[in-house]
Amino acid sequence: MTPKVAFVTPRYGPEVMGGAETAARQLAEHLTAECGWTVEVYSTCAVDHITWDDVLAPGDSVLNGVTVHRFRSASGRVPEFYDLDGRLRSAPAQATETEARRWLECNGPVTLDLVDALRAGDADVVAFYPYLYYPTVVGLEAVAVPRVLHPAAHDEPALYLPVFAPTFADADAICYHTAAERRLVQRVHHVAQVPQIVLGLGVGAAVEGGRSGADILGIGDRPYVVSVGRVDEHKGSAMLARFFGLYKERHPGPLALALVGPVAASIPDHEDIVLTGVVSEADKWDLVRDAQVAVSPSALESFSLVVLEAWEQSVPVMVNATCDPTREHCERSGGGLWFGSFAEFEIVLERLCSDAGLRARLGARGHDYVQRYYQWPALIRRYAAFLTAVCQRGRSGRRATS
Amino acid sequence: MNDESAGTDAAEATVTTATTGVEEDDRAYLTRVRAEIDEEVRRRRAAGDLPPQLESELEALFLQHAPLGSTRQELHEVLRLVDAAAFIDPVVPVESSRPGGAVVKKSIRSMNFWYLRFITHQISQFTTAVSRSLHILDHQLAELTQKVAAVEVPPSVVVDVAWAHRPEAWWVPTVTAELEGCRRRVLHAACGDGWLVAALTARDVDGYGVDPRTDRVAAQELGDLDLRDESVLDHLEAVQAGALGGVVLSGVMEASGHGERRRLLEGAVTALAPDGVLVVHSLAPSSWDAADAPPEADIVQARPYRPGTWAHLLDGLGMRTTVTPGPDGRDYLVVGRRHAPPPEQR
Repeated sequence: MTPKVAFVTPRYGPEVMGGAETAARQLAEHLTAECGWTVEVYSTCAVDHITWDDVLAPGDSVLNGVTVHRFRSASGRVPEFYDLDGRLRSAPAQATETEARRWLECNGPVTLDLVDALRAGDADVVAFYPYLYYPTVVGLEAVAVPRVLHPAAHDEPALYLPVFAPTFADADAICYHTAAERRLVQRVHHVAQVPQIVLGLGVGAAVEGGRSGADILGIGDRPYVVSVGRVDEHKGSAMLARFFGLYKERHPGPLALALVGPVAASIPDHEDIVLTGVVSEADKWDLVRDAQVAVSPSALESFSLVVLEAWEQSVPVMVNATCDPTREHCERSGGGLWFGSFAEFEIVLERLCSDAGLRARLGARGHDYVQRYYQWPALIRRYAAFLTAVCQRGRSGRRATS
Repeated sequence: MNDESAGTDAAEATVTTATTGVEEDDRAYLTRVRAEIDEEVRRRRAAGDLPPQLESELEALFLQHAPLGSTRQELHEVLRLVDAAAFIDPVVPVESSRPGGAVVKKSIRSMNFWYLRFITHQISQFTTAVSRSLHILDHQLAELTQKVAAVEVPPSVVVDVAWAHRPEAWWVPTVTAELEGCRRRVLHAACGDGWLVAALTARDVDGYGVDPRTDRVAAQELGDLDLRDESVLDHLEAVQAGALGGVVLSGVMEASGHGERRRLLEGAVTALAPDGVLVVHSLAPSSWDAADAPPEADIVQARPYRPGTWAHLLDGLGMRTTVTPGPDGRDYLVVGRRHAPPPEQR
């Protein structure tokens, strides 16, 4: 008999933009669809991770075979958060436990009902995604069955706050996106002995929309580079736009940049930069397929599905050199190059745009990497085997008595 | 830069370079591309390709959201930023979008210039002094690094001995018997392809493995065993104190320097629960001089301890030991159990 799995994630649903939340949904749905497991999700009614406003209806529903229990939040992010965060972020490891606990509550969403329901649930194993929020920290303390933590951790100040130390230490198993994430977590929290797996996510088959990328962008037959994801300063979008603008000043020509995704940053108008806003799944795949290069400028990624989606279509990538997970993807696969300054950005882009052989070579390496490690059927079977072993092992690393 | 590989089929496993005509595999090709990019960056910087102020602005933009613990940058690279920002300009920009705004700003600037110049001059003097001292530090650090490299003890390598590191080896039944029934996790390092972890798992022991040899672990990384490509020392230092039921070290100690061997031992003992078991499999010193000795016997400045040395060392770490020599004297097994409180916990 297969275990019953509960996922706990502060936001859940197709309307939610967020790497960790999307990952939780994908794992839940693939476990249901491909392994036939019973999966339920405990989440809030929120869509926005800043306000945590209750937008979706509370109660139970079924989404793609997964039962979703939604709960209202007692509070979202409160104004006090910003003062506290500003004060703690310069030396987060030195914060007191009281301060750090307050930071957690001020960050929201405080979900007392969710935790109560989780405690009363009948799941055999609970997976928490990501480490950063109240439902994970308090929920992990509350449940009696084995707990799997999916940290989705970046090297950010919050990771060093003492309130998260028990979250990592008490998890019965940890599921990482990349080995770089594992190294980071083990460096900050001494949890190397905890059973773990480096899993990542599967890449879905490309959805063919049948249009050319340049046609979607309305740029005629100009070549372009693409960056997919939320257009946000924290994601490096403003930096990319500035770098690309300067590149074009120094390398006049037809090359354009497409920023594809919801726009949450102010990007100055530039004749060579196209902001598409949100596009359909088919348009996204078409845009990536026809790009010369896909750029991931973000320094704070724990996995980066968009990098793998580019490789699925044999498109080479450029990533931020200080982002260990995306750089690790490039180093392991040989499917991309990285930049740690404008000088490197300029030379890498110049080289990639002028060298079709290099692009093809990198794209092929990336494609092979995705085929080997990130195909759903094999990946979800690995995850199911991992969860089964976690259940057999039982709580706190002790073997379950049979 | 050359368009050396234009026309190359993406599916090909090798590429012919225009410069040498020699076929390269993918890895070597990408390493070369990366090196060419790095060289070009150096060349352009040396030529002053970008004005310092502009480069400083771009670097600040890049680093704005860089991770706290990013260790990818060199000190001399960051110093370029410091240099570019060292001069504090008292000449405030006066452009304005409002009519007459520029004139007003210019007047204010003229009135305050003597004051601003006095302040900024002092700040610039300070930042320049800081920058200079950092450059001296960087220079001295580079010199020191060069000197240290000459006498550096190479990082510990795993000794691979086919006759000793396999499931049929004489010492494996002893280890599995010692650890059978262990309720906590058991670490094997260096685990290779997981051969001992598999043997432990088959006996219901919750084993996992660590090995710094990427290729060994990579071959098994999609399997069901918990095997990790990590430095053994880094791993032990990231284990919660008292968390493990057993630590088995094989092929790890023989080629480690004394300091590193000590840290490995201390790390292993600290990681063990009070009732935990430490197992060390080691080649005998005589094996280091034998004709079939592993190449590390010649390469590294280390040699296996004599069995009695383990008893001495482990006793100092609060453990009582049992040493079992191998049947032909080529290797031996040390089993240690704690008989005193553990060393100071991390």
